[in-house]
Amino acid sequence: MAVTPASIAQPVRRKAKLWDRIYPYLSVTIPFLVIALFTIYPVLYAVRISFYQYILTKPKAHPFVGLKNFVEVVTSYYFRTSLTNTAIYALAAVVGVTLFGLVVGMLLNSKVRMANVLKVIILLPWAIPAVVAGLMWKWILNSDFGILSGILYSLGLIKQYIPFLADPTLAKISLVMAHIWKEGPLAAIFILAGLQLIPDELYEAARIDGGTGWRIFRMVTLPLLRPILLIVVVYETLTAILVFDLIYVLTGGGPGDSTSLISWFAYAEIFRNLNLGHGVALAIIIALITLVLILIYLRVIRIEETVS
Amino acid sequence: MKHRLTFFNLLVVALMLVAIASGCAPKAAETPAAPAATEKPAEAKAITENFVTWSYGVETIADNIKKLQEKYPNLTFVHKDYSWLDYHDTMVGAFTAGNSPELLYGSDHWLSEWAGAGWLEPLDEHCPNVKGYSSELAPYALEGMTYEGKVYGLSYYADTMDFVYNETLLKKAGFDKAPETWDDVYNMSKALKEQGVVDYPIIMAWSQKEGAFPEAFLSMVYSQHEGGNAMFDKDLNPVFNQEGSAAAQVLEWLRKVYEEGLFDPASLTTAEIDQVKSMQAGQHVFTIYPQYNMAEVNKPESGEYAGQFKIALMPGKSHATVGYVRFYAITPKVVEEGPEYVDAACKFLDYMGGKTDGQYIVVKRWAVENGLGFAQLPLFDDKDVIDAFGKWGDVPTIKQQATLARSKEGLTTWYGAWDVFARAEIHKAILGEQSAMDTLKNMADKWNELKAQG
Repeated sequence: MAVTPASIAQPVRRKAKLWDRIYPYLSVTIPFLVIALFTIYPVLYAVRISFYQYILTKPKAHPFVGLKNFVEVVTSYYFRTSLTNTAIYALAAVVGVTLFGLVVGMLLNSKVRMANVLKVIILLPWAIPAVVAGLMWKWILNSDFGILSGILYSLGLIKQYIPFLADPTLAKISLVMAHIWKEGPLAAIFILAGLQLIPDELYEAARIDGGTGWRIFRMVTLPLLRPILLIVVVYETLTAILVFDLIYVLTGGGPGDSTSLISWFAYAEIFRNLNLGHGVALAIIIALITLVLILIYLRVIRIEETVS
Repeated sequence: MKHRLTFFNLLVVALMLVAIASGCAPKAAETPAAPAATEKPAEAKAITENFVTWSYGVETIADNIKKLQEKYPNLTFVHKDYSWLDYHDTMVGAFTAGNSPELLYGSDHWLSEWAGAGWLEPLDEHCPNVKGYSSELAPYALEGMTYEGKVYGLSYYADTMDFVYNETLLKKAGFDKAPETWDDVYNMSKALKEQGVVDYPIIMAWSQKEGAFPEAFLSMVYSQHEGGNAMFDKDLNPVFNQEGSAAAQVLEWLRKVYEEGLFDPASLTTAEIDQVKSMQAGQHVFTIYPQYNMAEVNKPESGEYAGQFKIALMPGKSHATVGYVRFYAITPKVVEEGPEYVDAACKFLDYMGGKTDGQYIVVKRWAVENGLGFAQLPLFDDKDVIDAFGKWGDVPTIKQQATLARSKEGLTTWYGAWDVFARAEIHKAILGEQSAMDTLKNMADKWNELKAQG
């Protein structure tokens, strides 16, 4: 049989076809395996743990307890307290971050000198790790040598240094303040991006129609910013509900349980009470709460889009 | 196609590298990390063990390890430290993840929790010298290292919670004598505040993350209670929640001094380091802290009030206090690794917490250089120790307080979890968010709940 170029080309083409068929599956399989290993498996394993008694000091006894962990967690005093604390914190943090972002975003959008440099500088707090930010605030708020008390004292506004983190109300406010400082810059950059998408012609038209600052903001800027604001609100709500590192460094949940948020409660259940079953059940509850909130927000966004 | 082949080649190379690296890893771990100065004897197997501590005196620890390694050139001990505030949670994470070190620091308030979970190994079953050392220990310290009749630790240091006052500032307010009761402390604090000597006469390191917080609170309860069972009866049922108990009196006293501005509110977020520094700065007059801080506050270079800090017997009816012990411990990992590793761990323990050439050299070093207390009774007669302690404290008072010290009651597997719960509850009582009796009821309920879980 004579060897022709066509007969050589046939197996090569077949090989290439086979590879072309396998390649997409292979490329999907590898990431899938990684995701399965690092996300799907841990989540399923966590769900499994939540149905068992899993006390870390009893490593050999894990009886099946059904929904007992969930019932015990939900009916506990700490769940109610931490849920209330989380709701207050999240509300204050989201409102604070959004307002901060709006004000700073608008300032950066106006023709401020060195706006480009400011845009970079303003992001710095967001880029700082939360633990470092927490430590900085701990020093700022220190009752013996904190700079905040120092400034207030030198201005004659207070007679003695204030132990911000030792008073239940002040500790809550301090946490929110640190959160806004940390998260506000990202919101500002989001909002700035949104502001830059609004055509100047709309402002011009509004001004020709006799619009003034506040009216233009209310009738032009705010409606057009709404999609961005919704994204900011969604993201910041999740961040506020899941905040842990700031609490860990700043207050440790105290004084009393005044800054014990739900994520801190989950940590305390696992590492302080050594009850992994309770901790995981709580983590699943937190995940469900955030999921419900996301679904609500997504629905709102969809309604907004339909209306616009 | 060329690109795909390149991708494939890279994948193969990467897999080979991973295989080579993972194949090498165990061999690398078996190699001693740092060869000792002297030549190794040919027959001795090189052993490397990890030693985890909280961050205190790390240079001294490193130097002690260096000296030990010089003595046993085939042994290498790799030291790692974590903040005291995070130590418990970090170690629990390591234990549950199966990443225990061979050797570590332990504390009496975690012993039942850790030993009950099987995270620690009894020393007296593996290290023959431990029994001999135990007979020379102060009873409260031995009790604090014993779980279900087995000894799990060799004392690194043992100390008492002491009531400390600034003599100069107290004299400024016209008092020549230290307070003897909690009423005295209250009255003196009132005078100190009224005369403007200090804003807040009393400070405590009662941040919820501070491990010495419950010990300080308990020392107040012990001092106000006569006899044993201040917290629990012999069957471990709470008695502290009874009307008029010492715990109730202490909580009510704390609420009173907080309300009247005598107790620094920052105490609720203060850690021990900050407590010591504010005492040194003369911002407060009274406090309770572990005795080892006395060497630090009274050292001549520590500031204006150096030498003015005095220990008084814990005010109250009985003047009792809490004695606690921190110790060296081993984990089951050592036993799993084999008898040579157990032998190495025992050598380590002998050197660090036991005797070398008939002397407690490392324990004595901590006492003389750092002022750490000790449980090894023969050291109370050591001239160097007496001289060193005399520089910062009144040795007879220290001794008297040590004899009145008692270990913590209720050291069970659930003590750690309860202790953390109790911290937040005590805060709420001080802040006036709930009454003293409600606080004690909550603490008792939690105790019973945890006890039922077993």
